[in-house]
Amino acid sequence: MAKHVPTANGTEMTGATSLVKSLEAAGVDVMFGLPGGAILPAYDPIFDSTIRHILVRHEQGAGHAATGYAQVTGRAGVCIATSGPGATNLVTPLMDAAMDSVPLVAITGQVPSAAIGTDAFQEADIRGITMPFTKHNYLVTDPAEIPGVIAEAFHIATTGRPGPVLVDVAKDALQKMTTFNWPTSIKLAGYNPKTTPDAQAITDAAALIAQSSKPVFYVGGGVIKANASAELRQLVELLGAPVVTTLMARGAFPDSHPLHMGMPGMHGTVAAVTALQKADLLITLGARFDDRVTGKLSTFAPNAKILHADIDPAEIGKNRHADVAVVGDVRETISALIPALKAALAKSKPDLSTWLRQMNSLKATYPLGYDLPDDGSLSPQHVIERIGKISGTDTIFTSGVGQHQMWASQFISYEHPRTWLNSGGAGTMGYGVPAAMGAKVGAPNATVWAIDGDGCFQMTNQELVTCALNNIPIKVAIINNESLGMVRQWQTLFYEGRYSNTSLESKRVPNFPMLAESMGCVGLSCERPEDLDKTIEKAMSINDQPVVVDFRVHRDAMVWPMVAAGTSNDEIMIARATAPDWDSQEL
Amino acid sequence: MTTNRRQHTLEVLVENEPGVLARVAGLFSRRAFNIETLNVGPTEDSSISKMIIGVAVEGHSLEQVIAQLDKLVSVISIKDVTAKAKEVHDTQPDYQN
Repeated sequence: MAKHVPTANGTEMTGATSLVKSLEAAGVDVMFGLPGGAILPAYDPIFDSTIRHILVRHEQGAGHAATGYAQVTGRAGVCIATSGPGATNLVTPLMDAAMDSVPLVAITGQVPSAAIGTDAFQEADIRGITMPFTKHNYLVTDPAEIPGVIAEAFHIATTGRPGPVLVDVAKDALQKMTTFNWPTSIKLAGYNPKTTPDAQAITDAAALIAQSSKPVFYVGGGVIKANASAELRQLVELLGAPVVTTLMARGAFPDSHPLHMGMPGMHGTVAAVTALQKADLLITLGARFDDRVTGKLSTFAPNAKILHADIDPAEIGKNRHADVAVVGDVRETISALIPALKAALAKSKPDLSTWLRQMNSLKATYPLGYDLPDDGSLSPQHVIERIGKISGTDTIFTSGVGQHQMWASQFISYEHPRTWLNSGGAGTMGYGVPAAMGAKVGAPNATVWAIDGDGCFQMTNQELVTCALNNIPIKVAIINNESLGMVRQWQTLFYEGRYSNTSLESKRVPNFPMLAESMGCVGLSCERPEDLDKTIEKAMSINDQPVVVDFRVHRDAMVWPMVAAGTSNDEIMIARATAPDWDSQEL
Repeated sequence: MTTNRRQHTLEVLVENEPGVLARVAGLFSRRAFNIETLNVGPTEDSSISKMIIGVAVEGHSLEQVIAQLDKLVSVISIKDVTAKAKEVHDTQPDYQN
């Protein structure tokens, strides 16, 4: 919607200028992009715009940077690219943003409208390509439509369940003259997201909670999207029930809170996984019963009734039947639930003390932990834990995908929302560096660390050039185990240690510190535990340049606990072939 | 999911715009919903087209088909017109318990 009434309203201009004026009117302050032929007309007015344009080195970097910016600020991230390969390089970030419900607006140039369908130079049907993973997308061939489409794109991206919207603009629509008219209202017959929950659903939800004796708050990323952390804490403390936060919800509820049982799922804590399995009610808030959380669905939380609150009606009952469904914004839902639950608890308050004692016993017996390598080499978990401790809880962390991502979700303590950014649904290797760049642009005063793997880093590190040239001093920790570590872990566990194509030899090639220096960053390395803290402190002391630290860690460390893919959460392992000692637990 | 594969007929009003058939067909394909029949025609309002879609799903799966269809911005309304003409919803599905 209109952020300001643009002074340009009613003025004659090119479609390109109209596009840039529209982005300004939508409140855009920064965008990440790379020009090319079809989008070139737009880059001329960008030259004069108040919008900061950050010239990336690869369009994928622009997309993930826009995502990092959006995840930190809560506003739409914007990326821009040309037609054909420029546009297809945005495909991965768009899919990533769709899976993690990130508000993103992608602008692409298209070949002139007369050439569409002729296999013209750099022609790709990007609208067709991105239909499966955009919330909506557009192909604009008439310059008069540009302001309305841009206003709709931002409205759709940022309201309801957030998501990516792509606007493809034909080159001739950018070149033709038009009269700029920013719309005063947006009318979309087929788009009307419900944000206020039904009163009856809230009453039913409160009654269901008040009847349960083993409730668990199953908190998903929607709580962060809805800025509902403060309300969530009130609700949790009102009931006094245990909480689990999914990979996308780390930071939605403080890790230090005594009711927090940790992260559930494939690499979740024993307490969090067991809380879901043994609960009689899951109070599901902005979460979607993803397979990485449920394990084998038919054995997930077998005794639990389901209260499912989500803004997306299509998530209700998608994977698991909901006994009570509340469709609406999760902050509005929680705010309405607090008084309703108070009233319900005043009539009958369940005794949760046995349940809490059981969960606290599991939490105490099975904390997250790791063994230090016998040979005195660096432990990857220890490196990540020390970065978290030394950098502190106001730091924003991003990660790639794999073992280092799981360890960063486990061994860093998250106290605040929007401080943990990762590719949860898509599992996009290479997310870490460009997302950190976008995060630092969105929160320039925060320390931003990308916890990356040596495999992931080699996919998108070119954006460090962008960071160095644009005064975006991020810090990158390469957890270098010279392997595609998570794939190697699966080969260890499920393929008899046959390490087919997972050895990257990244302790020989490339030389990461030299690579970093060549890109205008400070390159450091650390191989010995006794150098760990001082290396991190050195990296922390450099704030005028990006810093890359090559942490050369032990290769065989594995991520535990683990629920193997396709198995039941009941089969959680705390180490290889080691289940928790259930007989000693009162459950 | 589809133990009783009775055919349901959905009357779907969509924006009459390029690509709308691909949006609907693509949704069915990627969500692994089976389309038995599909007809597209005009309405009295030239900006709106009507799709008649036959799907062989029941219960939970039918709810998912309708909920996912409703997420498409180009889809204006969905009616289940099987046998007794029962309106499923116009703008939002009612998941109220």
